[in-house]
Amino acid sequence: MIEVSNVSKTYGHKKNAFTALKDINFTIEDGASVAIIGKSGSGKSTLMHAMSGLDRPQTGQVIIDGQNILELKQKDVDKFRAQKIGFIFQSFFLQATETVSDNVSLPLEIAKVSKRARKAKITAALEAVDLSEKARNKAKDLSGGQKQRLVIARAIVNEPQIIFADEPTGNLDSATGEKIEELLFGYNKNNGVTLIIVTHDPDLAAKCDVQIHIRDGQVSSIKGDKAVVKTPKPIQVKKVQ
Amino acid sequence: MKLRDTVRRAGRSLRQAKARTLLTSLAIGVGAFTITLSLAAGAGGKQYAADIVNTNTNPRELYVQPKQEQQGDPSAPKEYSEAPTINYGGGFSLKTFQQKDINAMKELGNVQSVTPVYNVSAKYVTRPGEKKYTVGVEAYLGTVKQEYAAGAGPKGQADGVILTDAYAKALGFASPQKAVGQVVDVVIATPLGETKTYPLTITGVTKKSALSALTGSGGLQVQNDKVADMYKFANTGTPLENSFIAATVLAKDESNVKTLKQQLTDKGFDAQTAEDLMGFIFQFINVLQGILLGFGALAVLTSIFGIVNTQYISVLERTQQIGLMKALGMRRRDVGRLFKIEAAWIGFLGGAIGSGFAAFVSVIGNPVISEALSLGKTKLLIVEPLSVVIVIVGLMLVSVVAGILPARKASKLDPIEALRTE
Ligand SMILES: Nc1ncnc2c1ncn2[C@@H]1O[C@H](COP(=O)(O)OP(=O)(O)OP(=O)(O)O)[C@@H](O)[C@H]1O
Ligand SMILES: [Mg+2]
Repeated sequence: MIEVSNVSKTYGHKKNAFTALKDINFTIEDGASVAIIGKSGSGKSTLMHAMSGLDRPQTGQVIIDGQNILELKQKDVDKFRAQKIGFIFQSFFLQATETVSDNVSLPLEIAKVSKRARKAKITAALEAVDLSEKARNKAKDLSGGQKQRLVIARAIVNEPQIIFADEPTGNLDSATGEKIEELLFGYNKNNGVTLIIVTHDPDLAAKCDVQIHIRDGQVSSIKGDKAVVKTPKPIQVKKVQ
Repeated sequence: MKLRDTVRRAGRSLRQAKARTLLTSLAIGVGAFTITLSLAAGAGGKQYAADIVNTNTNPRELYVQPKQEQQGDPSAPKEYSEAPTINYGGGFSLKTFQQKDINAMKELGNVQSVTPVYNVSAKYVTRPGEKKYTVGVEAYLGTVKQEYAAGAGPKGQADGVILTDAYAKALGFASPQKAVGQVVDVVIATPLGETKTYPLTITGVTKKSALSALTGSGGLQVQNDKVADMYKFANTGTPLENSFIAATVLAKDESNVKTLKQQLTDKGFDAQTAEDLMGFIFQFINVLQGILLGFGALAVLTSIFGIVNTQYISVLERTQQIGLMKALGMRRRDVGRLFKIEAAWIGFLGGAIGSGFAAFVSVIGNPVISEALSLGKTKLLIVEPLSVVIVIVGLMLVSVVAGILPARKASKLDPIEALRTE
């Protein structure tokens, strides 16, 4: 379960201060697929960074598995991300000159997975995104859709508990985008992994169990089956059975 | 990230920027080359000097001189002493040995023999039909190894003489071989102008070598008794007739030399062992090596800035990669370590290139140098494996130190900021 309560994030100081997140509250059940939607600049990415332990908002709590990750020491947050989170960023961020396998290997190396264990995991992840044949190719030689599949392979390779995807289909044509969606939702359903998608695409958002709308750094509405809103307590978001 | 994976990734990043890596390494390589070569020259020089010491001096031998008074102010009154002295006037004087001093030395334990030093400046040496040349005459020492162009030492021959090939040529011999067996006349003069001619038979001609410059045996060498006789005659009527400027003391055993030196010093003599006499050579080599090492250190210092610069650029270029790694949970320390290891790799490469090239140069250069300085089979450049290892490891450490600042920059990078840059 992910509990976000009273999270506020301000950039800059004094006159230049800009509040990107204002008192965000909600709860996400394990295994749910959640869309965070809103216009550009509304604070979606900022929220995702706060929830994933990449950023530290000034106030509030992000409790994952009963642990407030905002209270953890830096190295423990790093370890938490390495072991429990899979990331798909707004851009690919692939190592262009490295091979497909080496790109997938990076999160495993960071999580200190032994070389032998890595091999099997990399094979499985590449298989899941149908890129096994490209394992030895350089990342830069892949097509856009293949690159995004590689990014997904990198996100799932260490069997994370939560996957954060920032605009996973933003750079792709609709047909390719659909394939990526299938992959993500399939992985979410089959492995019980919590999937949090940041998007401004209402169609993609509609495919998720829950939609959290963000406007000007605030939750404007939460929709979806079994979505429970309890204010001032965190808004409860349940997974569709 | 595990150390092994970090090392592997560091190597991969460097391979991807081959030209830059190589150029930065070459800068360090220059330093490594100079340092390795100066270490090699130092090792070779010391080896060479040790050879000289061993072949040109007898480790059992001590060179003893009377302890000279502090000359100080020449106008200050000085107490009269019974000891024989040579007065130069102007208040300067030189103490000498008398037979009783020689005897005192002989009575010390551990002494095998005491030989006064008879060095004579002959009026001239010549042979019929040739010009006259001034020359120094000294005792032939069987313990000193010499390179002969022809012939050999005088051995038992009382009127035998060895001369250098330069004198043989000056005295009109077509070749050193032709000189052997021929007679030369050495003329000694007293201060009063009396002269005495010593006909001597050439038994050997020595080659000119770098050794002669160091050991100073550039004149004629004759049997000790012969030179003693010349000395007596040359100094007739002078304070030196029955006294000597110096003496050599031969210890019974090499292990006694140190105690013997102390005993002689206690007696009021000034004693120097072979080691003391040759010490200046080592000092000279050390100074020379120090200068070379200084140049090497300077080159390394310059290359440090090269590494800092290269690594800074590398960090800037790889902002996204670093951001990604940090976002995926790589610890600050590990990110810093990645860049320090890259720096270490550069240092290793530079050290290996530089010292490898130095080894190559010494292999090629040794015969050339030995030929030019007529050192025979002596190698002046000795690249010791240990010094290569030390140079490489040292440069790796230096590189890591140089890489600290860029590594810190990388480790402090904010992943969100880094990933925002498209
Ligand atoms: N480091 C920063 N300093 C100042 N303001 C920032 C900083 N980072 C983000 N912001 C601001 O915070 C707001 C939210 O940014 P965020 O990146 O979360 O938007 P977003 O919803 O993800 O937009 P998009 O859909 O375009 O990615 C924006 O107005 C942005 O300008
Ligand atoms: Mg965004």
